[in-house]
Amino acid sequence: MNFDQARFSRDDEYEPLLSEKDSTTVEVDSEGVLPDDLTRDELTLPALSEPQLARHYTRLSQMNYSVELGPYPLGSCTMKYNPSFTEDVAADPNAGVHPDRSDRTIQGTLGLLHGLQEYLADIGGMDAVTLQPPAGAAGEFTGILVAKAYHESRGDDRSEIIIPSSAHGTNFASAAMAGYDVVELPSDDDGRVDMEALDAAVSEETAALMLTNPNTLGLFERDIVDIAELVHDAGGLLYYDGANLNALLGRARPGDMGFDIMHYNVHKTFATPHGGGGPGAGPVGVVDELAEFLPSPMVRETAAGYEQYEPESSIGKVHGFAGNWLVLVKAYAYIARLGDAGLADASAKAVLNANYLASQIDLEVPYGPFHHEFAATSGERDAADVAKRMLDYGVHPPTTKWPELVSQAMLTEPTEVEDKASLDDLAHAFNAAYADSDEALETAPSKTSARRIDQVSAARNPRLSWRALGDDE
Amino acid sequence: MFEIPDDRKYLESHEWTTTEGDAVRIGISDFAQDELGDVVFVELPAEGDELAAGEEFGVVESIKAVSDLYAPISGTVTAVNEELFDAPELLNDDPYGDGWMLEVEPADESEFDDLLSPEEYREQTE
Amino acid sequence: MTAGNGRRVGSPYAPHTDADEEAMLDAVGVDSAEDLFDIPDEVRFDGEFGVDSADEQELRNAMADLFSRNEELTEFLGRGHHAHYVPALVDDLSRRSEFLTSYTQYQPEIAQGFLQVLFEYQSMLVELTGLPVANCSMYDAATALAEAALLANRLRRGASGHRVLVPEHLHEGRLGVLENYLDGAAMEIGEYPMTDGAVDVDALADLVDDETVMVYAETPTVRGVIEERLADIGDLAHDNDALFCLGSDLVALALLEEPASVGADVVVGEAGALGLGTAYGMGLGIFATREEYLRQVPGRLVGVSEDSADMRAFTLTLQTREQHIRKERATSNICTNQAWVALRTAMHMAWLGPDRLVDLAERAVTDARDLAARLDELSGVKAPLYDRHHFREFVVRTDQPAPAITNDLAGRGFAVHALTDHHLQVCITDANADAADGLVAAFEEVI
Repeated sequence: MNFDQARFSRDDEYEPLLSEKDSTTVEVDSEGVLPDDLTRDELTLPALSEPQLARHYTRLSQMNYSVELGPYPLGSCTMKYNPSFTEDVAADPNAGVHPDRSDRTIQGTLGLLHGLQEYLADIGGMDAVTLQPPAGAAGEFTGILVAKAYHESRGDDRSEIIIPSSAHGTNFASAAMAGYDVVELPSDDDGRVDMEALDAAVSEETAALMLTNPNTLGLFERDIVDIAELVHDAGGLLYYDGANLNALLGRARPGDMGFDIMHYNVHKTFATPHGGGGPGAGPVGVVDELAEFLPSPMVRETAAGYEQYEPESSIGKVHGFAGNWLVLVKAYAYIARLGDAGLADASAKAVLNANYLASQIDLEVPYGPFHHEFAATSGERDAADVAKRMLDYGVHPPTTKWPELVSQAMLTEPTEVEDKASLDDLAHAFNAAYADSDEALETAPSKTSARRIDQVSAARNPRLSWRALGDDE
Repeated sequence: MFEIPDDRKYLESHEWTTTEGDAVRIGISDFAQDELGDVVFVELPAEGDELAAGEEFGVVESIKAVSDLYAPISGTVTAVNEELFDAPELLNDDPYGDGWMLEVEPADESEFDDLLSPEEYREQTE
Repeated sequence: MTAGNGRRVGSPYAPHTDADEEAMLDAVGVDSAEDLFDIPDEVRFDGEFGVDSADEQELRNAMADLFSRNEELTEFLGRGHHAHYVPALVDDLSRRSEFLTSYTQYQPEIAQGFLQVLFEYQSMLVELTGLPVANCSMYDAATALAEAALLANRLRRGASGHRVLVPEHLHEGRLGVLENYLDGAAMEIGEYPMTDGAVDVDALADLVDDETVMVYAETPTVRGVIEERLADIGDLAHDNDALFCLGSDLVALALLEEPASVGADVVVGEAGALGLGTAYGMGLGIFATREEYLRQVPGRLVGVSEDSADMRAFTLTLQTREQHIRKERATSNICTNQAWVALRTAMHMAWLGPDRLVDLAERAVTDARDLAARLDELSGVKAPLYDRHHFREFVVRTDQPAPAITNDLAGRGFAVHALTDHHLQVCITDANADAADGLVAAFEEVI
């Protein structure tokens, strides 16, 4: 497939900045509104007409790659198709209410939240679910706070969270933010949890083990039952990072594996759009014993209708209000559209696609059997360069150089939405880039709007607003 | 092959220190700068601060990595190479020369004996 | 897999034909995709979730029915979460799939469009706050405030204490989030009193000390009051080597004193007031600060660089602060953020431009003043409660019980918040101003 990304340019710039199209300074003279000493003197912003803005943003959109343009196999990100109808559902004017509304007047909103709590509990094998955390990392933080509250309620002061070295960076950061020391766990030779190392790491200081399953290499942690027993016997809890749940829908549930707490990445598993970096949502499910610690409010159904309530020993708030509502609506719509059969099929096709793609590429995949994603290695070639070259073939490359267990890793997650022809294109992009000359790799990309961007000068001399550009010129 | 000058001693974590002359200088090795890639940021202690052998004294960052810096010896910082703040690339271009980091008044010269010789450090990096 | 009627029973968004599927299974060397699951029997799930699949049309109807169970009330609600009229351009362009279905710009060469939008968003925040560094989003105002407190604590590791001082009038959501974020850093929260709805600066002076790492104040406050002594509050913080964190929102920032001019070290608050609508409390957290704290900033930053053709280009930068590189020593755990909301907010700001943005802010003062005056004419009502300047909202004291009044108002199609037994809070913006006459009339009937 040939590809040329749109490129609007003039002189030494691509599409000009809004501020270069217009910069208007208005004096703020609010006589009769506020005393002069309470107002600012002036304000400078672009003043452009609607047609000018429409063109600006449409041009910028054309200089941006997305799932609807082509494959986007970023490992651990689950870039699947986002059904159009869910956008319309979320835009329903009746769905947009203020969070201070009384329960009685927003039965539709609360009904949806309650329904989603139930869906997610069933899908994860959990007993209670909070929808409040606004992203996966916020879900991790929430889950660890719940674990902390649980231990403290038993007068049990624990100081450590155990995390495999191959885990998502957010795991470490979330545990640290909750005040825990992180104990990093090495992987064994087959890419899974090293049971001996785990045995040595677990102690009466262990508040929880955070685990992704399948892990970040796409491998199922086959020893999960023994892992759970080891951690539980020491009085610790098991936390499930839901980033890879798209591998397991309808085949295995974290709750059945012995996990006590989990978060769901609804923008991954349940197809809500990633929005250029967010918003997502990171609901957290827990087993019965931990339900009393969940954030407030939760939604329950009573004879009189749906109502919000505060769990008995709630940790309180993790978001100012109820989290990312619009995202939750889309997730609900996706689950209801697919149902059991659709969800199970999504996982089957996601796993089939990853395995088929891996069978078609010339790069070695050192660990298996993998599920919805795999970590290929570009061997002697620099994975970041191979990725840049892949852009020229009209596909988004995988996550590169992570997890570190695989040298020159290319973590690839095609998701269920690619058909065979598209996977063949993707495999071609892998193979062609991998086989290209050093020069082709180092000078790539050339078909994208911008050519290879100098990361070093961006970091050495940070220029973070259009005002900072003015300083230079 | 990475350059490993014979006129100084090394830590396993890739810092070097000179051992003689008017001022004892501390920096990072050629191997370390190569591993990091283009250095974009350096954080160092201020003049007058105390270093403790084996303890962290600063941070060096490239685009994709962050490394802590460990003190080869204990002592008081007498000078800081402030040019690194504006031109961190000196660490890549000349790690043993213009890319020096600190000058230190050693607290205990016997600590030099605990460091790796150039030969020992060369073995480690091979 | 197809059912008897030819309709696929699997995911409607998995496009495989039977022939494709067979060829792929062959290539992999298995008979069925089920053979690819390496899951021990003991943890296999054989049950069902009990969710029937639905076709798109029937589901849309069902969800429209569900949402129709929300009563259609004209909302005069605020308390730190506001909605202004969102122009059609924002809905239209933000839903372009190139924006909506992309992700974090890990490959900047193919993502210049979104990076430029985020750079422009950061730049507009710089114009509004006067501070040179703004990140490209926090989840909401509450988490932004909490991140500011953590930043202050990191900067003041040597401080003898780890206390953050917050106003007596603080939204319970912001306070609750702050408590949870500070717990892990062994920080504590102190509350300073307010007089007639504004900061009691003398009382604050007695409380701020060398154990204080940050003083937080808001304008407008959660009760809608415009704070008049921000510079004094900033001085108190700085005299004690504490950071001064100011909470506000984008519309207020367009009119009120520039944060940099009153000594703010960090500005946090809610940006979703532009571009988002009420969205049941979903937000967009502002985070802006001084250059010297750049390395401590949480979240994503977009910067400028050049590409190999010597063209100006944008890229995520200073990523070593972030969790995917620095892990447990990152400035924050945030990864996925509110980028698409920032895009909508930037579009809305650009659509307004400086004149209309300042006008909108002035209306927030004058409309609130006018509505309060009209309510104040009713017997048994005092509005506003505080003898202060207000922005969008104000507290009303009623002789009759406030909950009963809100109940009766709901019966007449209006949502107003009961703050206490005899206090209501009323919020007016361009989104509900045309219903102000109706609200006043309804008020007259129910009191």
